[in-house]
Amino acid sequence: MSLLDRAKRLAGLPVRVGERIGLLDYVPAGIAEGEAPPTHVFRWDLDKTYLRTEFDSFGDLVKSAMEEASDKQAYPGATALLRALKQDGHRVCIVSGSPTQMRQVLVAKLALDGIEYDEFVLKNNLKNILRGRFRSMRAQIPYKLPAMLQSRIGATAAAETLFGDDAEADAVIYCLYADVIAGVVSLGDLERVLTASRAYEDDAARILDLAQRVPKGNAVRRVFIHLDRRSPPLGFRRFGPRLVPVFNYFQAALVLYQDEVLTARQVIFVALEMLDSGQYELGHLATSVQDVIRRGRVARDTALRLTEEASEAAKSGALSGRSDLPPFERIAEAFRERVRSLGGLEPFKFEPMEPLDYVRLVDEEHEQRRARRKQGMG
Amino acid sequence: MHRIVVDAMGGDHAPDEIVQGAAEASLGLTGAEIILVGDASALGRLLPRMRHDGARVRVHHAPTWIDMDEKPAEALAAKPEASILVAADLVARGEGDALVSAGNTGASIMACARSWKLVPGVTRAALAAVYPTELRRGEKDDPFSLILDVGATIDATADDLVSFALMGSAYAKLVSKNRSPRVALLSNGTEAGKGPAAVVAAHAQLLEATDINFIGNVEGLDIPRGVADVIVTSGFVGNVVLKMLEGVSETVVRLARYAHKERLAWRLGLLALGSAIDQLKVLTDWQQYGGAPLLGFQHPFIKAHGRSNARAVTNAIKLAHKTLAGGLNAEIGRAIAELDERNGRRKRITTEPAQS
Repeated sequence: MSLLDRAKRLAGLPVRVGERIGLLDYVPAGIAEGEAPPTHVFRWDLDKTYLRTEFDSFGDLVKSAMEEASDKQAYPGATALLRALKQDGHRVCIVSGSPTQMRQVLVAKLALDGIEYDEFVLKNNLKNILRGRFRSMRAQIPYKLPAMLQSRIGATAAAETLFGDDAEADAVIYCLYADVIAGVVSLGDLERVLTASRAYEDDAARILDLAQRVPKGNAVRRVFIHLDRRSPPLGFRRFGPRLVPVFNYFQAALVLYQDEVLTARQVIFVALEMLDSGQYELGHLATSVQDVIRRGRVARDTALRLTEEASEAAKSGALSGRSDLPPFERIAEAFRERVRSLGGLEPFKFEPMEPLDYVRLVDEEHEQRRARRKQGMG
Repeated sequence: MHRIVVDAMGGDHAPDEIVQGAAEASLGLTGAEIILVGDASALGRLLPRMRHDGARVRVHHAPTWIDMDEKPAEALAAKPEASILVAADLVARGEGDALVSAGNTGASIMACARSWKLVPGVTRAALAAVYPTELRRGEKDDPFSLILDVGATIDATADDLVSFALMGSAYAKLVSKNRSPRVALLSNGTEAGKGPAAVVAAHAQLLEATDINFIGNVEGLDIPRGVADVIVTSGFVGNVVLKMLEGVSETVVRLARYAHKERLAWRLGLLALGSAIDQLKVLTDWQQYGGAPLLGFQHPFIKAHGRSNARAVTNAIKLAHKTLAGGLNAEIGRAIAELDERNGRRKRITTEPAQS
């Protein structure tokens, strides 16, 4: 085969194959010309956010890479939540730090779970290795931030909600992204953050270019951080009320119900998936309600209104097919009891906050990562 | 799911260490829910600072609490919404399955006695304590023997002592994984006829009417040797014995400190024994045990040491979970019912709370 033929053949490779062998980058297709922009974009991380993945040791990494799609487990409630979010006018974009070689199995897993998505970006680590860019293999900000900015340029929505976890730097990256697109972070400040993140020069230049071009707007409504490591929630207060650390997806659904993104019926389906998993009982859900109320993330009335609306939904047959639900009176009483048992407790109130110092946050994140590595936690 | 109610305001280091212990327990005990009873504002401030599972630990507000040095009866009367009373009441109402407290012992026992029922057939509850011994026991090589009663009440009849023996045996089987715990009565001689009338009568009953591994009487000096796994006595004697044993241990430690200061040769000797002493400390570390059970009520109560830190509290919660998961009270009920059947006597109606 001539060189020309080879080049032609390579050029004709589907992105998926080119990406797997480290030659091509997956560039998400934005919305077509003339197509209405999405009303709400939901950006999801995958590992430790949607999928229960262990990569604290080399053994974990190997195990994760060898797993079949059917072996991979989503967190209870995550599938129901993602399905609920994929409505008309909504766009689901997945940006994961998993290597591109995992695409096939991850796509299969999402298909098994019945998850529809619009974009699915994976990290091209083979390309990083081939270019000798070993720093990029672990770097989070120089990878995720441009992927998200690029995605927003392709399909700009008035509202965005982001889902990540506490395993790495999702809280910092998501808040930085939110502030960049809101125009709160200047290009000079962003450059300093990228330097602290040890981004390669050309990557930094590309990110700065994207940041300049990205349509501006205070679009990020919520950032959910799934507390996979069960990190103390207090550590996330500095990010302000927009960022909500959650122990499970019922809590996220509750906040989204309060934000009028989800209906009571959709929240109940998240709860049902959690109950079906066998890892949660009604008491756990009620306790989860109390936790978000105590932390000032959900109002007391919201939880009570949810049970009333869910009860109405059940009566109207909107939850048909589920005869195994606990009686709504029992659910409502459990929720009411948890609210009552707080006595006159004043939930936590957020004070107006100073702009985040991202350079310091990045430095801290590096410190924590080093400490975790020392402790053998990845 | 087992719901373990924790008096978050009881103990020398409450609420910080108690909340920390509960938070840690919530991460490991996925089959349990922990209910922290106490000042909701204080608990609500503490929990978010700690690693925990927000679906498995919750807060139940109680506006007051009883301090360690308060007189139990007076304090309970003056503070009807004290955390220990609210906690015991939650369990009595079926909103919790077991109770853990590191607070005022007298107040804790009285709070349980006020609202909890005894296991049918049990006439009196008994507070059990563990003591490290020379000999070990059970599958886990448990270095602790169990002594009961150590002060839930003062006197004990022969029937009480027999039920203490059955309860202690059931507990040791479950917690020490000891298939056939050696049960003994504490007396002033090993002969069957030695001791007060209640002890002599209990001795006869235990031999004739029970199938536990009753080894007869033991004397005080047999306790640290570990001759028996369960030592049965009245609350008055048990309390005196336990405090004497604690006093002796403290004196030994003080003597060692004195020796360490006094002569170089003694200091070197102690240094040479260093690793052995450290190992002994690990073996006899009361914090790893968690707490002492109050046996005989229909719900488990684990009394953690007043000085409990987070680790001890976590272990006390685990112990409560273990007694629930192992069906301790059902086992005690079964043993008492069997005894009643063997004795051919009418089952005692014991639905009234115990008098303390």
